[in-house]
Amino acid sequence: MQLLFEDDLVEAAVRLCAAGTRSGIPALQLRRYDVERERCYAVLDPDERATAFARVQLSWFGEWGLESRLTSVALHFPMLQPALTALAFRKARGRNDEGAELYRDAQGRRRGIVALRPERFADDAPLTRFLHHELAHLADMVDPAFGYSPELEQTGQTASQLRLTRERYRLLWDVSIDGRLVQRRLETVADEVQRRQEFNRGFAFLPEERRDELFAALWHGRLARHHPLLDIAADPRGLRGRHDPVPGAACPLCGFATFQWTEVDRLRPAARDRIRADFPAWCDRESVCARCAEMYDSITGLEYPATVVL
Amino acid sequence: MSNVLNWQLGRDMEYPYAAAYPDRQFAFVFNLNRCIGCQSCTMACKSTWTFNKGQEAMWWNNVETKPYGGYPHHWDVKLLDLLGQANPGGQTWNGEPRDLTAPYGQFKGKTIFEVAKTNISPEGAQRALGYLPTDEEWAAPNRFEDNPSASEKGRKGQMAFSGGELGPQHKTWFFYLARLCNHCSYPACLAACPRNAIYKRPEDGIVLVDQERCRGYRKCMEACPYKKTHYRGTTRTTEKCIGCFPRVEGRDPQSGGVPMQTRCMAACVGHIRLHGLVQMNADGTWKEDRQHPLYYLVHVAKVALPLYPQFGTEPNGYYIPPRWVPLEYLRQMFGPGADAAVERYAHPDRELLAVLQLFGKDARMCFRYEIKPGPKIFETTIRGKKFELFDDTIIGYAKNGTRIVETKVEEPLHVRGTQHANSI
Repeated sequence: MQLLFEDDLVEAAVRLCAAGTRSGIPALQLRRYDVERERCYAVLDPDERATAFARVQLSWFGEWGLESRLTSVALHFPMLQPALTALAFRKARGRNDEGAELYRDAQGRRRGIVALRPERFADDAPLTRFLHHELAHLADMVDPAFGYSPELEQTGQTASQLRLTRERYRLLWDVSIDGRLVQRRLETVADEVQRRQEFNRGFAFLPEERRDELFAALWHGRLARHHPLLDIAADPRGLRGRHDPVPGAACPLCGFATFQWTEVDRLRPAARDRIRADFPAWCDRESVCARCAEMYDSITGLEYPATVVL
Repeated sequence: MSNVLNWQLGRDMEYPYAAAYPDRQFAFVFNLNRCIGCQSCTMACKSTWTFNKGQEAMWWNNVETKPYGGYPHHWDVKLLDLLGQANPGGQTWNGEPRDLTAPYGQFKGKTIFEVAKTNISPEGAQRALGYLPTDEEWAAPNRFEDNPSASEKGRKGQMAFSGGELGPQHKTWFFYLARLCNHCSYPACLAACPRNAIYKRPEDGIVLVDQERCRGYRKCMEACPYKKTHYRGTTRTTEKCIGCFPRVEGRDPQSGGVPMQTRCMAACVGHIRLHGLVQMNADGTWKEDRQHPLYYLVHVAKVALPLYPQFGTEPNGYYIPPRWVPLEYLRQMFGPGADAAVERYAHPDRELLAVLQLFGKDARMCFRYEIKPGPKIFETTIRGKKFELFDDTIIGYAKNGTRIVETKVEEPLHVRGTQHANSI
């Protein structure tokens, strides 16, 4: 696995260190750094100048221990070594841009890219915690036992359901990763208390007992696989496949999750007939959501085609 | 620190260098009531000076939608906040306005130079209070374009109307603020540069970065309150507006040897800009030059005001404030002269109406104007005040006395001949 460092990241990190944000850099070294930079300004060709600067910055990136900080953390994840052709570190544009991504090219070669803000190099401890968490994500992605797939979409999901699934998956995966890192005695970005709070907020609709059970399974790594995580994210109440009117289940007609079911007896007979005509597999026991009930009641009370109303 | 006279603040202030003033000062007036945010100025500048590799996010001239827009994001709010923290409740004005040395009264608060020594960073005290914007803040230069302020009830997206019998009255507002380097009399960028790479030209006061001395420390970016110096990653140096100095010097092939307005000024389709060189006194105040259009607008009519004078850099860009914007906001942005400026612009007199016709009429700089009286062509009442319109003729002259503009207050009506009917 080749380790790559983006020029922008290296330069920004080194410059921040030179500006005094990272303690422990001797003044004499700062002087040497300035002298070496000064020489680069004498190079007139823009491309050659860029190369000269990159060389200087990279050498101080190594000299001030920034490179070794990244490489030493990567060693805690031996699974990455054989699985990736390269692990690259790039400068993040902001807090929201930070994170790890896995890329696969046409030949099937996989590259991991970690985006981080240069300010992280000011202090080793938070940097290490961040890298542990992000590299653990990458390790999961390349681990065949985890079975990661970037596709989170499931049949019949609407765009908003997919977004919800993605957010829940992110939370479940983060809990699982931090739990496993803590078991390995590696520092990470959030401890059990913080993650439990997040989990409780994200899955507040579950009974407390079920939440505790689920969190414990996640934190202790018992659910550290893609498909179980995705199943929980997409259907946390376990309603998929249910054909009876329970709160949160999907309406058999429109497919949207609903908490408002209508008793079939309250539909006018013409509406029921119309539903049977449109959905031959539907049976009274399955019921319909309030929105569908309202619509079928309306369209069967009118003489012109339903498409006009719709 | 030296003590220098900042006439915009009506008092002396601290500045890291001794006072030194050019013979003439690069200055401009923008009429914000006319700006339509078309970005013609932005693109004129971009296509002339900053189209190369490494300058992608660099906009020496930009037009942002106020109150929310900003390039970099929230540059003014952030600095006002820093000043407010450094001198809580003390950023106030009072005192009687005096001509030339204190036209807006006296600023009792502290400038970015005066509070800098208290703002200690890991690298030590600053020379001018400031902050270094992040890469994210430089991106999306036209963020919040056309976003109006919230209604008086503060509800996002809600337009509030009142006084139904009088017709609807908008309670939301925005305006376009065109900005470039103000070529300040006391530049914070110059004060902050650890290598003395920034200098102010003695002939026209244009502030330039010596590319051979600059080593990319970005102290100027941190210090400039208007955030008009930009780092170029490919050269590892800072670049900024050069005031189109070849044009100002009259060396542009089109100029005929007389000073020309910058590219951004000349390209303005809304005719909001008037650019010129004003004469300076030895104490840094403007020399009386009654027939110079900029002198007239700034010191006689007092409709054109400096942008955030409280920062203390004595910017040489002046703005005619938009008359539909709440005065509290305008006072914060343009100082205490805002009330009178809006009132004067809303009820313009005969001379002001004529001078406003000079904007955008010729690419050459106007150094003197004269007005030939014309007949009264219109009379009405505006908000309870009598208003008379005279079709005067205003004539503008270049530096060498060449007549460059001759126009009337009532814009000429051109009728297309029938031969053009139905033609493209």
